[in-house]
Amino acid sequence: MAEVAVTGIGLVAPLGATAAEVVERIERGESAARPTPFGAAFDCPVFAPIEGFDAAGCFPNNKNLRLMNRDAQMAAVAARRALDDAKIVVGQTYPAEEIGLYGATGLSGLPVDEVRPLIQHAAASDGGLDLQAFGRVALRRIRPVLSFKILANMPICFASIFEGLRGPNAVYSPWEEHGTQAIAAAIRAVRSGEARCALAGGCDVKTHLLSFVTLQQLGAFEDWKRVGRGRIPAEGAAMLVLERRADAIRRSATILCTIEKCADVSPATHPLLCAVKSQLGDCFAAAAAVQTALACHLARTTGRAIASCHGFNSQPAAFLLEAA
Amino acid sequence: MIRVAITGVGIVSPVGIGRREAWANLVAGRSGIGPLTLFDASAFPIRIGGEVKDFACDEIIARYPEAAATRDRKILLGLVAAEEAMADAGLLSEDWKDALVCVGVGLETICLEDLTPFAGAANLSEAIADGTRKRSEQPFQTPLDQTARLLAGRYGFGCGSITNCSACAAGAQAIGEAFGMIRSGEAGLALAGATDSMLNPLGLGGFSLLRVLSEENHRPQEACRPFDATREGTVLGEGAAFVVLESLERARERGAAIYAEMLGYGSSLDAFAATDPDPTGRGAVDAMRRAMRVARLAPEQIDCISAHGTGTPKNDAAETAGIKEAFGRRAYEIPVHAVKSMTGHMIAASGAAEAAVAALTLAVGTVPPTLNLQARDPDCDLDYVPRVARPFGGRTVLSNSFGFGGQNAALIFGKHGVGPR
Repeated sequence: MAEVAVTGIGLVAPLGATAAEVVERIERGESAARPTPFGAAFDCPVFAPIEGFDAAGCFPNNKNLRLMNRDAQMAAVAARRALDDAKIVVGQTYPAEEIGLYGATGLSGLPVDEVRPLIQHAAASDGGLDLQAFGRVALRRIRPVLSFKILANMPICFASIFEGLRGPNAVYSPWEEHGTQAIAAAIRAVRSGEARCALAGGCDVKTHLLSFVTLQQLGAFEDWKRVGRGRIPAEGAAMLVLERRADAIRRSATILCTIEKCADVSPATHPLLCAVKSQLGDCFAAAAAVQTALACHLARTTGRAIASCHGFNSQPAAFLLEAA
Repeated sequence: MIRVAITGVGIVSPVGIGRREAWANLVAGRSGIGPLTLFDASAFPIRIGGEVKDFACDEIIARYPEAAATRDRKILLGLVAAEEAMADAGLLSEDWKDALVCVGVGLETICLEDLTPFAGAANLSEAIADGTRKRSEQPFQTPLDQTARLLAGRYGFGCGSITNCSACAAGAQAIGEAFGMIRSGEAGLALAGATDSMLNPLGLGGFSLLRVLSEENHRPQEACRPFDATREGTVLGEGAAFVVLESLERARERGAAIYAEMLGYGSSLDAFAATDPDPTGRGAVDAMRRAMRVARLAPEQIDCISAHGTGTPKNDAAETAGIKEAFGRRAYEIPVHAVKSMTGHMIAASGAAEAAVAALTLAVGTVPPTLNLQARDPDCDLDYVPRVARPFGGRTVLSNSFGFGGQNAALIFGKHGVGPR
């Protein structure tokens, strides 16, 4: 079976823009957790936002950005960083139609401001939904681009549009389990030759008010209620560039590590990987890719690392990363 | 590589609940599109759709009490179609414990009714935060993996549960992924398909803003006219479809009825624009060619195409251009039909429903028609099987699905016994 190598990492995370920076800050004991602006409304009092994130810095004057939700912008930035890290020029290093794209996205976490006109103009006097007002007034008050922001596949489609990627693809949703499926599908595609190269990862924004509402309702904050600590909703994106090891050697790429799905799904034993979610936060659909990216970085010094993905509402999965 | 057989089919659609009723209506050219009745759409610019009629939500909830809290119709549609396919395959309940389930879905339903009570609040965010936390019995958003989760909870599916949300390509991709895993030996048995319903205020409203829907409310059954020169847009539908996939060897050993073999799958991205398909059909060409490569079939060995065929001006022209590019002169000899002319666009479920119809096309030997095709469009000049079903003696069917945002998928099915060449 062909070995699959990781040759690039693109990260958008609360504690940094590269795996090295994030690892260093986690080792220093830094935490991305901040008090939420939601007061005491939820059992979870903290979140891990990415302060100062601005996709326009990476894609200046790109009109598509106004169609994109924050998670899609993060996915696009992560994809660009991953391709740059792997020194891949789409269409030159590999034909565009032979570069695959497999990603996981989360539940649509729109800011309240995006849906405010719908809520305010479609409300009946008794607080119910007034369908007459919805059809006649509210629909005219919202921006048509709202649809682009809530379609679950759009973050991955925008990444393909920005980078010109045209290969095999799939989008999974909405939990960490689905992030592991994206990585597994990309490994399968590269190994089988369906794609010469693939980007695999995920993006999610769990720091919006409406995300908090959903997480609270689904029981993701139960630990906070019981023991006063628990998962810290975060935001972020991570993308890995995968290609056959033989192809990477042939083009003299830097091989960060090899990757394969691992049968042992016991929780991570590396102290740093154990600390990721408590210090960096949990970005759900993107968590598996973030964990795998950091494990890949660690494997370069420790020889091997296991990215063990145990998320909310998710079947555990693991990836073995070994230094090449 | 392991050969893959389709041994079960389940369809819940605007043209019928159950594969027999749906197939009979498709072949007879009966449209399932009509005035919307699921909610009061009288103030909406679009008031027509392809609803699943007489769908007994209570009956399915009685069988799945764990689904009682859901307000998301697509979950119930999916459960019914999945159960029909599983029963059709004639397997034992323990067989499913080690199987794979792949479900395609669109986007989660957001219940605006949960938020409108706070519309008058001085601080909307604060009011929502304070008010909604108490409504834990009915989540404001239904996670997309809910159908797969309910099926896995009931039947096991120990080989894994995958939720694909690649928009209108999700159903085809879910089946394609299951095909790949059986073909490589990673799974021995799979239930794969998709479910969707956007026939709710936010879904209908959102799509009407995108200006891809026909506004011909006065003639619902003629509103969706794929490949017709006068086409103005698609019509939203809803539904679900699942197929059972297993190795051909296993199916033969147990004496299963085989609808078709699945021979190929290919996906691609347009990388063109968020709003429009690539007018050259380049992404569609990539998907079709990749599927033919996997199936080891040449263009002249494809005998029928189930088109994505939405009825929007841009999609149908781009798809036709793509078919011509992929098949050359042969494109003019292949019957190309559009199921959506009768069902409307079932969004994520459409690719799965059309895959099920492709399997039935091979098993029965009839190509369903493209309804409402009267006026020839010079840009759409293929043989679209207008208005009347046609006997079919071919050996292969290719089914196209193209998703909003530029995701494409093509599936290829072969008459049982054909196999890869």
